[in-house]
Amino acid sequence: MAKVNLSDIRKSYGAVKTIHGVDLDIRDGEFVVLVGPSGCGKSTLLRMIAGLETITDGTLKIGDRKVNDLDPKDRDIAMVFQSYALYPHMTVATNMGFSLEHRGGSKAEITERVNWAAGILGLTNLLDRYPRQLSGGQRQRVAMGRAIVRNPQVFLFDEPLSNLDAKLRVVMRGEIKALHHKLKTTTIYVTHDQVEAMTMADRIVVLNGGRVEQIGAPLDLYDRPVNRFVAGFIGSPSMNFLTGTITQRGFQTSGVVLPLATSTNTIVGQAAVYGIRPEHFRLNDHPGLASVPAEIMLIEPMGSETQVTMRLGDVQVIGVFRERINGAPGDVMHVLPEIGAVHLFSEDGTTRLN
Amino acid sequence: MKADLSPRMRTALYGLMCVLLIPFVFPTWWMVTSSIKPISDIFAFPPQLIPQSYDWTTYSKVFELQPFVRQYWNSAYIAALVTVGTMIVSSMAGYAFARIKFPYANTIFMIVLLGLLIPSEVTIVPLFQMFLKAGMVNTHWPLILVPIFGAPSVFATFVMRQFFVTLPAELEDAARVDGLGRFKIFRKIALPLARPALASVAIFTFLHSWNLFLEPIVFLSSAEMFTLPQALTQYTDAYGGPMWNIQLAAATLTALPVLIVFVIAQKHFVEGLAHTGLKG
Repeated sequence: MAKVNLSDIRKSYGAVKTIHGVDLDIRDGEFVVLVGPSGCGKSTLLRMIAGLETITDGTLKIGDRKVNDLDPKDRDIAMVFQSYALYPHMTVATNMGFSLEHRGGSKAEITERVNWAAGILGLTNLLDRYPRQLSGGQRQRVAMGRAIVRNPQVFLFDEPLSNLDAKLRVVMRGEIKALHHKLKTTTIYVTHDQVEAMTMADRIVVLNGGRVEQIGAPLDLYDRPVNRFVAGFIGSPSMNFLTGTITQRGFQTSGVVLPLATSTNTIVGQAAVYGIRPEHFRLNDHPGLASVPAEIMLIEPMGSETQVTMRLGDVQVIGVFRERINGAPGDVMHVLPEIGAVHLFSEDGTTRLN
Repeated sequence: MKADLSPRMRTALYGLMCVLLIPFVFPTWWMVTSSIKPISDIFAFPPQLIPQSYDWTTYSKVFELQPFVRQYWNSAYIAALVTVGTMIVSSMAGYAFARIKFPYANTIFMIVLLGLLIPSEVTIVPLFQMFLKAGMVNTHWPLILVPIFGAPSVFATFVMRQFFVTLPAELEDAARVDGLGRFKIFRKIALPLARPALASVAIFTFLHSWNLFLEPIVFLSSAEMFTLPQALTQYTDAYGGPMWNIQLAAATLTALPVLIVFVIAQKHFVEGLAHTGLKG
């Protein structure tokens, strides 16, 4: 186990810059998830930590060692790949013991470590099979087995669950988390799925266009996103955004006035973006000053909750309600945004105003 | 596919294949049957598809008239060396072109490929002069070295490169993380997975070397050094006319290993054709 320290890490391919200076301190034993849309540089960053891509500039430390110029094998890391990358011509046991074999481990030691890892991951009965004889979930477990067998300082996961079906993904998510709990190895995990990020991470790093947008605990990111990008990326269904102006009466957007906390009085007159998560609308049966009329466009009952696509003034937003809603498209209901859960961003979305 | 065919279509298809079979089977049949006919029956009219009388002495004469065992051995060991050598050279070169980034890799590969376009008849005279200077004429070296490092190997390199290009890069990344260097990745990961491509390279190379004709007649001059295709031309009577039945007996013996290899490795052979995207 070790801490990992990234200091002003940059990557460029010729004149094209893909990573623009990333600073990140990962604590010993921490589970950090790098998340972002396709092409944000998260996989490149992970491969740079692994040593599979060169680092153009900056310093990478694993433990107290600077590892910028070390080969992957000398960095004491293990990696789980998206396609699992199991060697097709080797059995599960050989796959798992392969790296130990090449580091000069004795036969007895290799067998012991492989059996230990297989025991943890429930692979004991599959050790003699070939990868092609395994299901997707089993392959995934073998890939993890290959990583843990060596007891490395850092685990790197590159979108390991994206080739699995939705149900298995949830199961494997739990298994990876349980494995981390058991081994307490520093883990860096790349995904584009914000649900994975939210459920697994100690801390999330949101990347966009090769830059870090925000680093924080999952619920901190959810509750206090620092900019519009993070606000929109974290949470599903994603946050609603309305553009308009802050006034004394509230937030003036096309056709409606939305309530605001009084603390925003200092910035009256400023153009801004009003963000509200779908679950932060309340039904308000008594139309009053604060509530807003919303025209129902689509009702999607989920059982435990109801998702309603509705129109506030000219803007289409999504609300999620615990109540069951009887209504039809075209009906008007009254909703009330929770004042305490409103996020205000600058007009260009880059800074948070409240 | 098979399940989709109606009985009528299937009959038509099999009928067509039977017709197509004739030009392929007939020469082989003619060669084998004529090798045991008395020479007078070979040109009998009407032609005898099934021999009326047998003369097995043709096969013993094959060995009496030429050092045929020696020639058989020459062909066999040359083909074996060429096959192994080509497999080594083409797999390494193919891997390098597919996986290692070096300056002008694609340009160099194109230049290497151009070698395929030059007919061997064009290069045979300069090659002869080169080997003459090196004192290698009437030895087997030209027949071993030219295919391993020349145009036939280029074709094999092309086949291997195309295979390695399709090998998932993540496998190599995983191997690097597991602690392997470039050469070990090649030997432990890439090469074992390339077995189907290697098999097709082996089959094509062996056949090419076994059937080689122009080079042996240019480079070899003594009967002891001859390879089989060249030896076949030597079964002539005092006037230089071919002794048909003995020659065909020798031809049958020459074709035999190829037929056996084909029957055993038919699957690989067809896969090999599919790999190269070319006909043999």
